[in-house]
Amino acid sequence: MNDTFSLSRFGLLLKKTILERSMQLIGAVVAVMAFTLLLYTLILYALDWGPAQNLSFIWGFIGGGVVLSSVVFSYFTTNAGGAAYLTLPASSLEKWLCGILISGLLFCIVFLSFFRLMDYTFVTAYHSGLDRTSPLYRGLYDHVYLYEFEGNNVFVKATILYTNFVGAMMVGTLYFNRVALVKVALVVCGVLAAIYFLNLAIVSLLFSNVDIAFPYFTVLIKVDSEVGNIELPHYAYAIANNFLQYILPGTLWITAYVRLREKEI
Amino acid sequence: MIQFNNLSFGYSRKKLLYKNLTLSIENGSIYGLLGKNGAGKSTLLKNMVGTLFPVEGTVLVDGVQPKSRKPSFLQTIYYIAEDVYVPALTIKQYHNLFAPFYPMFDKDSFYKYLLELEVSVDGKLNKLSFGQQKKFVIAFALACNTKVLLMDEPTNGLDIPSKAQFRKLIASVMNEDRIIFISTHQIRDLENMIDKVMIVDNGNLLLHSSIADIAEKLCFKTVNEIPKGAKVLYSEKMLRGISVIMENTDGEDSALNLEHLFNGITENPAMAKQLFPIN
Repeated sequence: MNDTFSLSRFGLLLKKTILERSMQLIGAVVAVMAFTLLLYTLILYALDWGPAQNLSFIWGFIGGGVVLSSVVFSYFTTNAGGAAYLTLPASSLEKWLCGILISGLLFCIVFLSFFRLMDYTFVTAYHSGLDRTSPLYRGLYDHVYLYEFEGNNVFVKATILYTNFVGAMMVGTLYFNRVALVKVALVVCGVLAAIYFLNLAIVSLLFSNVDIAFPYFTVLIKVDSEVGNIELPHYAYAIANNFLQYILPGTLWITAYVRLREKEI
Repeated sequence: MIQFNNLSFGYSRKKLLYKNLTLSIENGSIYGLLGKNGAGKSTLLKNMVGTLFPVEGTVLVDGVQPKSRKPSFLQTIYYIAEDVYVPALTIKQYHNLFAPFYPMFDKDSFYKYLLELEVSVDGKLNKLSFGQQKKFVIAFALACNTKVLLMDEPTNGLDIPSKAQFRKLIASVMNEDRIIFISTHQIRDLENMIDKVMIVDNGNLLLHSSIADIAEKLCFKTVNEIPKGAKVLYSEKMLRGISVIMENTDGEDSALNLEHLFNGITENPAMAKQLFPIN
């Protein structure tokens, strides 16, 4: 018997994981979609298409991923639930892969399909509502296009944040048995605040007139009314980028596996 | 066979609950694990099933370390926690999703046990009362036919007829390859069911003996006056005299009173150790 991975056992586990708490999982996904739709509509009404598409995508995608990843390993709120999960005859690798598949792949497929459909509906409705005879038609038409997933910097950045936050949430759910979502949010906020102030302190030691020092993305210097951006050297930018894009999420996701193997309740 | 080799366990490394515990648990026995609240009963069971890991030493269940939680091992052991976890599924759905993980699962026995324990098969499991949920989990665990069955306070929440039915079921599923381990502080629920007793207190194993051995070495009776020179493990004034547990020097047959035995062993561990040496 293969104690590490068996496809048939993994299939059973996936089926069990989805159907055992189908209402919870479906409810979480539906809530995320409703939130995204609401955000898209409100920002569109209050601001413009660009912010509506970007902000609703960022919050829906990252927020939804985080919420779902807090659900997939949330068996440990009770002793019996945790014990039943840990003693179910499936390997830790299969249990981990199951969580990864749900919050890392299935959610992405469902959310991206939903977002595309929602965006398509809004954009199509906008385009069809334009007066084709108007001299402004072309300009108004070109003002709005479907949200791009390819070659879109916001999409890339959102994906990086998604992989990091989902990884952090999975690890957190396996560390904190109760109210993991809140506890992980507090820890992440604390870590981000610490990094921000550390970054600010280092930048302030090196430069004067620092205006904004946001880790990784931006360091702005302001002299009178002139603002200049300090960019990282190319090699340093590549290192930072690779760290955030691959090393940090990879470490977090693998930590979730290690933690699951070593989980005690 | 379950073997504890110099097991030390503690929720913090500085304060160990169990220190250098060594014992063997043989197949073909129903063990009663007795202890007060917080004595370390659940901890011992969790070390056996692999949801807690020893700080030092090893636990081996048929030669396998539970902490690895390999599927091949988990298929042979079932642990019922004190509280109950049931998802929002019907019994049929639960059976379809969970039973395939246990190759020895017997569907007919499962429905038979449910019937015998009078578990309502309609509606979702999470809508059942605590007692019904507990009985459902017991029926499922028994139907899994695992070699080792660990039950933590299984009779909590069961009504009186269900407790009797539970005892009958346990007796009916027992065979010489199986180990059934029942941890409880409701001692009377185990009477006439177990064949071996373990008593733990504050992480110390005070007693590990068979019922036959206890009956051979101890005598349980009610007397008007405690005989002079008798080695008394425990005494308690009752309406009709004094209930005593004494050393059985004359080879008398007597009915075992688990509650009194438990009190005697926990109050007089030195004498218990003398009568029933552990290692």
